[in-house]
Amino acid sequence: MTNADPDLPRRRFRVSRKVLPYLLSLPALLTCIGILVPFFTAVIYSLQRYRLSQPWAREFNWGANYANFMTDPAFWNTLKVSLTYAFWAVTVQLLLGLGIALLLQKRTRMNNFISIMLLMPLMTAPALAALMWKLMTNPGFGILSYLAGLVGLENFNWASDPQTAMLTVVIVDVWVYTPFIMILLLAGLRSLPPQPFEAAALDGVPRLFVFWRITLPMLTPFLLTATLFRVIESIQQFDIIYAMTQGGPGDKLTVFQVEAYLNFFQSTNVGRSAALLMILWAITYVLSNIFIKNWLRLREKQRNTA
Amino acid sequence: MTIELKNLRKSFKSGTVIDDVSLTVAKGETLVLFGPSGAGKTVLLRLIAGVIDPEAGHIRLHGRDMAGVEPEDRGIGMAFQNFALFPHMDAFANIAAPLTARGRSADAIRQTVSKVAQLLKIDHVLHHKPKELSNGQKQRTALARALSAEPSILLLDDPLRNVDAKLRFEMRLELPRLLKSQNATVIYVTQDYKEAMALGHRIAVMNGHGIQQIGTPEEIYLSPANTDIARLFGDPVINLLDVRPESRDGRVVALLSDQPVPLLDDYAAQVGQDCILGLRPEAIRFVGADTPGAIPVEVEAETPLNEKTVSLVLTLRGREIMVSRPAGSPGPASGRAHIAVDATSAILFDRASGQRIAPARNTIRKEEVA
Amino acid sequence: MDTVSPIERILRGIALTLICLFFMFPIVWIFLMSFQTNETILRVPPSVVFSPTLENYTALITGRLETQAGTLDINFMGNLWNSLFLSTTSVAVGLLLGVPAAYAFARLKFRGSEDIAFTLLSFRFAPPLLVLLPLTIYFQQLGLANTYGGLIWVYQLIVLPLILWIVRGYFEDIPADIEYAYRIAGHDFWSTFRRIALPLAGPGIAAAGLLSFIFAWNNFVFALVLASADKQPVTVGALAFVTASGIQYGQVAAGIVLSIAPTFALALYAQRYLVEGLSLGAVKG
Repeated sequence: MTNADPDLPRRRFRVSRKVLPYLLSLPALLTCIGILVPFFTAVIYSLQRYRLSQPWAREFNWGANYANFMTDPAFWNTLKVSLTYAFWAVTVQLLLGLGIALLLQKRTRMNNFISIMLLMPLMTAPALAALMWKLMTNPGFGILSYLAGLVGLENFNWASDPQTAMLTVVIVDVWVYTPFIMILLLAGLRSLPPQPFEAAALDGVPRLFVFWRITLPMLTPFLLTATLFRVIESIQQFDIIYAMTQGGPGDKLTVFQVEAYLNFFQSTNVGRSAALLMILWAITYVLSNIFIKNWLRLREKQRNTA
Repeated sequence: MTIELKNLRKSFKSGTVIDDVSLTVAKGETLVLFGPSGAGKTVLLRLIAGVIDPEAGHIRLHGRDMAGVEPEDRGIGMAFQNFALFPHMDAFANIAAPLTARGRSADAIRQTVSKVAQLLKIDHVLHHKPKELSNGQKQRTALARALSAEPSILLLDDPLRNVDAKLRFEMRLELPRLLKSQNATVIYVTQDYKEAMALGHRIAVMNGHGIQQIGTPEEIYLSPANTDIARLFGDPVINLLDVRPESRDGRVVALLSDQPVPLLDDYAAQVGQDCILGLRPEAIRFVGADTPGAIPVEVEAETPLNEKTVSLVLTLRGREIMVSRPAGSPGPASGRAHIAVDATSAILFDRASGQRIAPARNTIRKEEVA
Repeated sequence: MDTVSPIERILRGIALTLICLFFMFPIVWIFLMSFQTNETILRVPPSVVFSPTLENYTALITGRLETQAGTLDINFMGNLWNSLFLSTTSVAVGLLLGVPAAYAFARLKFRGSEDIAFTLLSFRFAPPLLVLLPLTIYFQQLGLANTYGGLIWVYQLIVLPLILWIVRGYFEDIPADIEYAYRIAGHDFWSTFRRIALPLAGPGIAAAGLLSFIFAWNNFVFALVLASADKQPVTVGALAFVTASGIQYGQVAAGIVLSIAPTFALALYAQRYLVEGLSLGAVKG
């Protein structure tokens, strides 16, 4: 007998088992490899003196773009603004998000409804969110400018005032992204095993103690993942700031990506723009490696308990 | 030979699971793969089915090498331990899956499915989804799916593992008839020695990555290759006693509480060596104190076990021995008693290696003939 | 817990009210604004009492904007259509590319598969402009500048990692034995993929599709850099609209409402999967 079962029709075309996985993933890979090319181009740009307005002067200046940063106050300003923005946005989001998650922890119909409602800002495109807040903080008719006036803050100019521009964009970032932290921590809180809490309640352990010694440590993987995720994203924030002030007033809000964008399109200094982005990339690369490790551990854990 | 495995090897990240396994199964034979969990039984079935590839070795089905042959072309029926029913298809579609693959007509499919379903008594639930089926019905559906295309090779991976005791008992009676009617070559995996004994023409005992012994159920039970296998077969578990055979009055004996228990003379070569004496609980019986060679014991406990009554007794030296007798037969429940051993069924193992020591009878006979 | 004191209950209530006020107020306010004429919007003090008008919406839908300076053509409907088209096609392409790849990563562990999966994931975290700025130059050369095709390609940067990692999880959750059983029953790899793996991972694929649609819809920077006015989605279009329409704030608000309504509707519909999507498949809600 040559055929295992003469009943079976033979098929002519067959893909070998070794090739199959590559065949399945290749289209996706090729799509992304196409995107790796501009990445390497950016590396080259960052090592060149390259202005779109002076294409003839284009040449490799190797590390000069980077070296110039050392003495360039604008660069240090960018770094400072980016870190300040990321720090305040994430800190407030983390505290607020954790607080809301704790308030909504119990699975009641009301709490579920509120948590879904609170997701709406997160579903708003950040650029549109910035626009909404721009309308509300308009010095002429903005409701928030009016309210600021009511509490004695005359001529409170929100994003157009160098004093309060950072505050305003941080508020918008908080408005959009706090629900992200909230929803992750809520999922985390609700997935915690009830036994330690029941035992603590039976023993009459004070609730503050339970929070610090049981809830927080058990929530750490979720907190870490959510925080890292937000740090990575907020250090690269572009949409909100660009839509709100385009980096202004002055250089108050020229975070990395906004500065790079303006360098590229306004001063057409491609070399400097690329070098700025490379530095941002290096920062996010380190952070995202830490993030992915944490994220993977969390994923593993969640899959095993599910 | 319908199934031939030669020097198969498979390892995963966690280590080697199958190491140098060779095996043949004749046409129409039911071979039981028996062994504790983790012995590689399921992996072996998957290798034969072709859903995973071996690292080394050959699989031949119907004399044809299976390297590079996809599972769908091997003409195998398989039932899984966890049933592996298609959750989004009803029982009918599940059972029909092998038939649709073979391009049968809708009519033929309907007929075959209802025939198999009747055989397995699930014809009334054919339009239920797996989650609406009871465990027993799931198990029968899984079997029906394996059988429906009348494959010449059936791989059954512990199909009774996840069903309740009553159903398992019923199926144990029903399955041999069913398998016989299929006229298929069967490899049946189980961890239950009774199932193995009831279903297998031959049993292959897997333990520690390989096959340790292959033989008929009687061979495995009566002459297990080592103490591990001896312990796996039989309930209550075989008594394994450390002994050093002696020669007394020209006979080979083992001493239990200073009482000589005569062994087969063929064990003469083992005199003075460290051995383990394997005594099945049913080879030991209670006797009166005046019986010659009776061993005094203390009865510690007595438990009914199915159709048997099992007693745990202690010898004067404190050795624990299990004695079983048919339920309802008289015997001491506690206190002092005496036991006698039927030494003809005793099995002798080498203490260092745990391997069975084959009686030398055959060789002696041959020498005599020569 | 029964130990909640009345004071705590009140404090919790106040806290939740303030939170809801902060997070919901902007949406409600813009929504109200979209039904007002410029006169009522510009009133001081602002008031929630007004007679609602649909004229902002009709202006947007007809594409004609009446201003003091005259009639202005506004292509907001075009932006809305661009958003819809770009997001839908990107998700469709993403699913087409991502689902088979997710299956390969979940089931057919191959050499380097984990590394590739992580590289794809790390794309999600790279600064988008790093790729976009050189891409503007390449797109000029390739003739992809300001084309839907080019945009859809770049949108894969956000769509693909999401689909890949969510759907992969769903494929991993299917017991391998179920697929083995179908193969052994006599079906080849492709029909097993189609009839077993795809239907069983169906909810995950749907969730990944909906979520990546939301992310694609909300994207701003890709189109800002790579698209001109006629290909711009609402996120970019609305910004340009503010400048173009001068002080027609009612229309801007109406435009915002129209732009965020689809994602809100989808989010409500797919709320069960939101947590999973936002955590890139790590946490199930």
